[in-house]
Amino acid sequence: MSHDEVTCEKLILECLLDFEDGTMPEADRVELQRHFEMCPPCLNFLTTYRATGRTLKMLKPREVPPALVETVMIFIRKRCKKEGG
Amino acid sequence: MNDAAAAEDLELVRGIKTGDDSAFEKMVKRYHARVYSLAYGVLRNPEDAEEATQDAFWTLYRKIGTFDESKKFFSWFYRVALNAAYSRARRRPSLPTTSIEDRMPRFSSDGHFTIDVPDWSVAIEDEAAARELAARAGEIINELPPAYRDVIWMYDVEEMPSSEVAETLEISIPAFKSRLHRARLYVRERLAELQSAKPAERSGAKPAAGAAG
Repeated sequence: MSHDEVTCEKLILECLLDFEDGTMPEADRVELQRHFEMCPPCLNFLTTYRATGRTLKMLKPREVPPALVETVMIFIRKRCKKEGG
Repeated sequence: MNDAAAAEDLELVRGIKTGDDSAFEKMVKRYHARVYSLAYGVLRNPEDAEEATQDAFWTLYRKIGTFDESKKFFSWFYRVALNAAYSRARRRPSLPTTSIEDRMPRFSSDGHFTIDVPDWSVAIEDEAAARELAARAGEIINELPPAYRDVIWMYDVEEMPSSEVAETLEISIPAFKSRLHRARLYVRERLAELQSAKPAERSGAKPAAGAAG
């Protein structure tokens, strides 16, 4: 990846995921890192892309209802009875 | 999922197919937390998530005969559970659908940003604000076409390994990555819109960076 090729568009649309998941070759990574340092919009984009990932991880419930196994089993047995299963 | 876990799944599947109730109960014990977690992520409500979990296991009970044992059980069941959750989500008033293309970043002909890109990340440093935003993110993901929605749920919310997501959805790793990135770009943009609609002092947004390249 030559420096001339690193535009904001290429970085954001084609390279950002590999940059983030660590599958990018080190030399390319260094190149992109340099772009981020010199380009405030791309840096803000990266920061908010990461914030999006952190926000999504919060969607997981903190706890599972303690009696859920029992609730499911009662539900299934009732349905079986109802439908003659 | 390792081979030993897959073998245990298969043993339980065979038990359920022969009408062994204890095998079914073991399967419920094994996967209820993951199914509930998935359903909660989609529905954002404990009661609905519990009901979607029941639906998923009921489908498992009725449809286990259709499961092809040459495939991984969890990949099959995960899709059953996902469908159960989205089926309940569809009963709610529908959100306006939006195009992914409309929310992709825009660039000038020479490949630079044409708009300001505000950094709203500081807004999620406050836990209450972050939880509020997460709830909105859940709604935003439901706006996505299923091919994108499922990938981002499995990978970013459920934190499943990429290989498992690709296998479950029967897509290649490059297709998985492409969908994941586009889904993230969409969600990021929608979250940015929500933040920009808030008063600056509430969102805590830092000043926007200029559109330079």
